[in-house]
Amino acid sequence: MQSHGIPRVAATTLDKSEQARNKERKQIIQYQALERDVVDRVKAKDYSDTTFQLTSQLLTQNPEYYTIWNYRRLVLQHVSARELAADEEPSEQDAAAANKAGLPPAQHEVLLLIKEDLQFLIPLLKQYPKCYWIWNHRSWLLGTATKHLPAHSAVTLWQAELGLVSKMLGLDSRNFHGWGYRREVVLAIERLSSNGDGEKGSGSGNMVESEYAYTTKMIQSNLSNFSAWHYRSQLIPRLLSSRSADTNARQEFLNAEFELITRALYTDPYDQSLWFYHQYLMATLNPANAQALPVLEPCGRVEHARYLEREIGSVREMLEGAEDCKYIYQALLEYSGRYLEVEAEGGEVALGEMRGWLRELRGIDPLREGRWRDLERKMGL
Amino acid sequence: MDSLDNTSWDVIITGTGLPQSLLALSLSRSGKQILHIDRNDYYGGDEAALALSEAEQWVKKHGGDASENADSAYSHATISLSDAQEEGAKKLGFSRAYSLALAPHLVYARSNLLPAVVSSRTHSQLEFQAIGSWFTVTAPLDGLPSWSRLTRVPSGREDVFRDDSLDLRSKRSLMKFLRFVASYDEESEQQRMVELKGLPLSVALKQHFGLKSAAAVGPLLALALPTVSEIETTMEFAVPRIARHLRSIGMFGPGFSAVLPKWGGLAEIAQVACRACAVGGGVYVLGQGIKNAIRAEDAEDSKLRLELTGGEEVTARWLVGCPRDLPATISKPIPNQADPAEDIMKSISIVSSPLTSLFPPTAEGGVIPAGAVVWVEVAGSSSPSVRILVHSSESGECPAGQCVLYASLRGDPSYLDTAVQNLLESMGEQPKPEVLWQMQYQHHAEAEQPQNTTSSGHVFTLQPLSTGIVLEDDVLKDVEEAWRKIMGNGAEGFMKFESREGVDEDE
Repeated sequence: MQSHGIPRVAATTLDKSEQARNKERKQIIQYQALERDVVDRVKAKDYSDTTFQLTSQLLTQNPEYYTIWNYRRLVLQHVSARELAADEEPSEQDAAAANKAGLPPAQHEVLLLIKEDLQFLIPLLKQYPKCYWIWNHRSWLLGTATKHLPAHSAVTLWQAELGLVSKMLGLDSRNFHGWGYRREVVLAIERLSSNGDGEKGSGSGNMVESEYAYTTKMIQSNLSNFSAWHYRSQLIPRLLSSRSADTNARQEFLNAEFELITRALYTDPYDQSLWFYHQYLMATLNPANAQALPVLEPCGRVEHARYLEREIGSVREMLEGAEDCKYIYQALLEYSGRYLEVEAEGGEVALGEMRGWLRELRGIDPLREGRWRDLERKMGL
Repeated sequence: MDSLDNTSWDVIITGTGLPQSLLALSLSRSGKQILHIDRNDYYGGDEAALALSEAEQWVKKHGGDASENADSAYSHATISLSDAQEEGAKKLGFSRAYSLALAPHLVYARSNLLPAVVSSRTHSQLEFQAIGSWFTVTAPLDGLPSWSRLTRVPSGREDVFRDDSLDLRSKRSLMKFLRFVASYDEESEQQRMVELKGLPLSVALKQHFGLKSAAAVGPLLALALPTVSEIETTMEFAVPRIARHLRSIGMFGPGFSAVLPKWGGLAEIAQVACRACAVGGGVYVLGQGIKNAIRAEDAEDSKLRLELTGGEEVTARWLVGCPRDLPATISKPIPNQADPAEDIMKSISIVSSPLTSLFPPTAEGGVIPAGAVVWVEVAGSSSPSVRILVHSSESGECPAGQCVLYASLRGDPSYLDTAVQNLLESMGEQPKPEVLWQMQYQHHAEAEQPQNTTSSGHVFTLQPLSTGIVLEDDVLKDVEEAWRKIMGNGAEGFMKFESREGVDEDE
């Protein structure tokens, strides 16, 4: 974990003195007792507040113990069901607070429960940012809120989540849990804010532009961000339709994306995540590729051939000064192969040149000889 | 406190500059009887941080030339206040709102000082802030109206990616160079480094890395911070320093490579170190120095007998200090004086603007830095450039809405002001930020000290800090040597302490 401005002392010191071992023994006994207590209580269907507090203690010590998260959810479910079914009069305080929040008192109680648990998770998430179960529990809490509370309450919670995930990605921009959670959050906000109008462009809930801008920002702070590039590629089809982009606009957009990725590739051709994005852009031109939705409209053989020619030329130029970069040769071979399928008589590449690239590739990466031999056979070189 | 006369000590440390204070810290748990004195009436010695009125007094004291200031590293101190500045002076805050560092330094994240600060448990009393961005200011071109350009130095791949002034080929070549620098000391690149090391940096960039654009040279020089001109800066000098910068980026957070201690820089570390020694039983007396050694060595009890400036006589097993704090009878005079051409001209300017564009956040969601480095060309590439450290009010050195500019140059002192003005002009702020107050002085280089210059070997001289602006690892290594001499050769645990009972540990 990185620190911010202040050097950190190591959290554990390897001190196996008798004193330390005794201390450790006590800790183990205490932990095992705690665990047994929680398990027994849940078996006995004791969903009291005490049980809840005990799960907090246990999970703070060991957040990877996913069964205890399940138990915690059982308690929460039990308590919220009880609140929602309640027909006793709420206290004056509770009623006033609920009124202020614009919610019936029972739902307000549920909201408070959820908010408190979200708070509980924050320090754990900071300490264990890659623990599946913590993200999962968060997701569950938000899901419960969405189920039981009116849209305006739930959306506020989801928007706070967007802030939180942006902060977590600021701390570690390559945390894929964060990126996955972000997609979930964006989807929820859009759904809850759409007011059922269903229109792709005008709904106040349409976040595709801001999310696209967010990927730009993240890429600028770290080029090697597989997740950011991937998210970007997922957003593009919706982005273009939400802008109601016509043929010209789409062409301009695609050219701008190629310009961006070319600039990145010149800066660092050894970064694989950049080549993946370049391949994605090329794939959108390929009508045979069902997974990459087309960007251009129309997008037929002519466009495909034109871009292949252009990019092969561009990537060829990248070789100068980076003759030892295997990704360049791989890209050249891949795109050349495709080009020859699309435009067999096109003059952009010659078989001799392709054989030269394959030779270079074999020299740079001899461990993958089998793979290069396969490629050679497949391409008929 | 009772008089010091006829007292006996294990170690006497003279001067509370950074090296001496670090030694005091390292000995703070040793149980040794330590007397730590300083002939000034403030802590920090040559690295002191001064309030405004203290700075004015200091300037009076160090105003003469080098011969009149033979026992100091500084001389030729002046305060310049033009009429415009007299007006500006009214905008100054009260004296104690300022903490001006005589010797501001960059502490790289990789420096050996920071782990020592942590392991000695003093880090909770210090606050370190980021030095975020580096800039160059190119000199206005002849014949054109005066216009200095401020450009941010690319410090890594993403910066190079974003830099619009670099074309694609230049981006490629610059990255190639940075990649070489990042592994210059590994076996794969050693041969290449041997071939290139004598070449000037600018020549090597063009001939061996394909970097044709002259505009890319300035930023790389800025990262190396040489005191000599561009053409005199060799690969041997520049590459390890650029590597140090690159390897330090991201260690404490994204986007920055070095830190500065809040509230006065190294002086703050010195104070915290002395405080730790005092807590450990060390005795502190300001306003006292070593006047004389009465007897260098008493044959019977092998203790040093020393006379303090106040007349008191004390004895000690060990005496440690920097050469200028030790009387000539103990530390032999330096046979070869340092070359005056190595002296550094310095200035401290208080500026009327927060200069916000010099302190962009270090990264998306990153910290706001409190320091910036600006490399200012003043007279073409055959002349050394001026280095300016800019500290915002977040450093604690000046009130909000102002900045402190620390300029240094090996060359003509009049260029210091030119550089400051060029920098302020290049900010593009309306109205142009003005200098409210400025002091100038000269810092004398120290010749290399041979160690243990006395026959007894119980006097240890510590190297004073260099005239540079980067804290070098040598400082702590020197302190460790002294520590080992005092504690005995088998001693272990230099700067490694357990936290004291009941002391608040801020984790």
